Amino acid sequence: MPYALTITHLYPDHLNLYGDTGNLIVLRRRCQWLGIDCTVKSLTMGEVAHSGQTDLYFMGGGQDTDQVAVVNDFHQLKYEAIRADTEAGVVFLGVCGGYQLMGHTFLMGNGDETRGLGIINVSTRAPGTDVKQRCIGNLIVELDATTYAAMQTMYATPRAIPRTLVGFENHSGQTHLGDGVEPLAKTIAGFGNNGAAEYEGARYKNVFGSYMHGSLLPKNPHFADYLLWLALGRKYPETPIALAALPDTEEWAAHDYVVQRYG
Amino acid sequence: MNQLLLIPIVAFAKLLTLALRVSGRGSGTALPGYVIGRYFPFVLESLVSQIPTVVAITGTNGKTTSQTMLSAILDQRPGAKVLRNKAGANLSQGILSELLKQSSPLGRLDFTHAVLEVEEATLPRIASLLKPSIIAVTNLYRDQLDAYGEIDHTEKLIRDGIAQCPTAAVVVNGDDPRTARLTQGLGNATYFISLAPEYARFLPYEGQLNLRDVNSQGLEATHIHINEDLTTDFAVQGQINHQAVHLPQAKTVSPGFFHVYNALTAIAIANLLGIDGATAVTGLQTFKPAFGRGEILVRHQGDKQVNYRLLLVKNPASFSLSLELLRNISALKLILAINDNTADSKDVSWLWDSELERLNQADIDWILCTGLRAKDMAVRLKYALDQPPGPIPTAESIREAIDLSFEKAGPGDTVFVLPTYTAMLEFRKLMGKTLDRV
Ligand SMILES: [Zn+2]
Repeated sequence: MPYALTITHLYPDHLNLYGDTGNLIVLRRRCQWLGIDCTVKSLTMGEVAHSGQTDLYFMGGGQDTDQVAVVNDFHQLKYEAIRADTEAGVVFLGVCGGYQLMGHTFLMGNGDETRGLGIINVSTRAPGTDVKQRCIGNLIVELDATTYAAMQTMYATPRAIPRTLVGFENHSGQTHLGDGVEPLAKTIAGFGNNGAAEYEGARYKNVFGSYMHGSLLPKNPHFADYLLWLALGRKYPETPIALAALPDTEEWAAHDYVVQRYG
Repeated sequence: MNQLLLIPIVAFAKLLTLALRVSGRGSGTALPGYVIGRYFPFVLESLVSQIPTVVAITGTNGKTTSQTMLSAILDQRPGAKVLRNKAGANLSQGILSELLKQSSPLGRLDFTHAVLEVEEATLPRIASLLKPSIIAVTNLYRDQLDAYGEIDHTEKLIRDGIAQCPTAAVVVNGDDPRTARLTQGLGNATYFISLAPEYARFLPYEGQLNLRDVNSQGLEATHIHINEDLTTDFAVQGQINHQAVHLPQAKTVSPGFFHVYNALTAIAIANLLGIDGATAVTGLQTFKPAFGRGEILVRHQGDKQVNYRLLLVKNPASFSLSLELLRNISALKLILAINDNTADSKDVSWLWDSELERLNQADIDWILCTGLRAKDMAVRLKYALDQPPGPIPTAESIREAIDLSFEKAGPGDTVFVLPTYTAMLEFRKLMGKTLDRV
C-alpha cells in the first residue's frame, strides 16, 4: 500500500533563516525516494489552522519583528488546533528561532523575554553571567538513548547509524527544559540548549526542538527518516512501518566530516 | 583647515606605508588610514575636498563592478583623472589610505573624479566628509545569516547617509524594493535603474515594490541577451533630466543580469556627469572584470589549454543568479568551491537558501565539489537535482580539484568555477594569480 504524508510548513514567508528551507527540501526528497506520496502545505499569517489535517509540522526561525507577529497570529488563529495535534502525537519540528518560539518564553535580540507559542514546556531566557558570548559554531551531539534505540528499529533491514547529530548553532538565548520535556541529545562539541546543562534540543511526545541548522536534516538523514517514520506510524497504526535504507553516501560523508573536523 | 598641517601628516603616512612595505607587512594595508583617521580625523575631508567630483557607490552586491565600469567610461574623457579605492578597501580607513597613497608629498591630489566604493554601514559615517555629488546604491540583499534584521538597519544607515547630502543625485536599483524607497521623503533627485519586467522576475528581491510615479527618471535595460561566451548584450532606454536616452546596442563582458544593473548604474552616473551614451557604451567595452567576477584564468600543460571562468558566490542571491546564468551553457563543466572560513561564513546553511534547483534546467556535463565544505555542497546538489548524474565527486583540496578538472576537460574547454571568497583567493593563487597583480 502506498503511504502518503502531509507536511505543513509554518509561516514560510516569515520564518526562513539559516537554510530552514533545507529541512523541507530533505523531507520532500526522502519521501520521494522512499515512495511516500508527500504533500507540503504552507500555513501562514492570517490563516486559520484546523486539527487533524497534517502529519508533520515544521517551523524555522525569523527576525524579531516577524517572530513577534507570528506569536500574535498563532495565539489568535492556530493555537487550539495545533496544540490538539501535538498532544495527539503529530510530529512537530522547530529549529533554532523556531525552537525558542515553541516554548513559553523566548528571547528577542534586544534582550526582552517574550511570550512564545506554548506548545512545549521550555523557556528561553537571556544569558546570565555564566555565558560570555553568543553560542555560535559547529555543534555535535549524541542522541538520547531511547530515541537512538527507536531509530534502530525503523529500517526494513538493519543498518549501522551514528548516534550523533551534527549542525551549526547561533543563538544568545539560553533554553531551559521544564517538566515532562526530555533533552534530545547530549552535547559533545558546542553549547546546545544553554551554557550550563550540556544538553541540546528537546522532545515532548513527538514534538522536537533543536538549535541545529546547517541545515539540520541533510547531514542527519537518520533523524529525517525518524521523523517520517514517526509520522507514518501515527497515521497508519494498523501496519508496522519499516523504511527502506537509502544509500545516503553523500550525507554520511558530510556528517562524518563534521564529526572529525569539529568533534 | 590649514594646508600646512596636512604636509607632516601626509609625510608621516607615507613613511608608515614605506615602513610596512619594507618590513614585509604588505602594501595593501589600511593601517596608515586607520592611524591617521583616528588621530587626525579632518584629513579625510581635507584630501577628498580637493577632488571636484566625488561619486560614492554602495550596496550589497556589485559595488566593485559598478565602480570599475564607471572608471572605464570616465577614462574615455580626455583629461579625466580618476581616483578609486581598491576592491574591498571600502571602510573609511581603506578610503583614507588610498587618498594618502595617491597624494603628493605636499598633500595635493591631482584628480578630476573620485569614484569610491563605500561599505554600507560606513556611508553615514563619512557622507558629510566625502560630500559626493552622486550616490549610487546597487541593491540591498540580506546576508545569509541575518537573524537580527541587520538589513533593515543597513537600509536605515544608507538613508541617513543620503540625508546628509541633500544636493546629491541618487541612483538606485528600481527593481529592489529596499533601494527603490531609499529617497522617499528626501529631496534628492533620484534616478531608477531597472531591467524590463520579463528579466527582473528572475531576481530574488525581498518585499513589495511600490509603483513609481510616471514621471520618475532613470534607465531600463531591454533586449537582454546572454551570449554563449557569457558576454551580455542589452539595449537601454529611459530619460535622465528630461532628455531621452536610447542606446540600442550595449555590451558587458561580465556575465549576467547583475552586471547589466552594474552597467546601467555606470551609464546613468556617466550621463549625470555629462558623458553621452555612445561614449559610455564604448567605455564599457574597455572594462575588464575584477577578480572573481567573470574573470578567466587559463591553465596550460603541454598542448592542452583549459579555461577557468570564476564567478564569486557570496550569498544566496549571487549563488542563485550565477546558476541562472549557467543555464545558457552547453555541456556545462562546473566546479563548486565552498569554504567555511570567517570571510565565507562559518555556517554553511546558506547553501540551502541558494537555488541549486536552477541547475535542473542546465545542460550538465559534469560537476565537481571542492573546498573545506565540499561534502556539504555535494549533499545540497544531490537533493537539488531531479536526475543526479551518479555519485557527485568531491575533492576537499582545491589543488586536487584543479588537477582533476584539467584531466576531465577537453582541450580548449571552459570550466565554470563558483567559489566562495577564500576559495576564490586560493584558486587564483594556485593558478599563479595573487591579489596584488589584479
Ligand atoms: Zn540558529
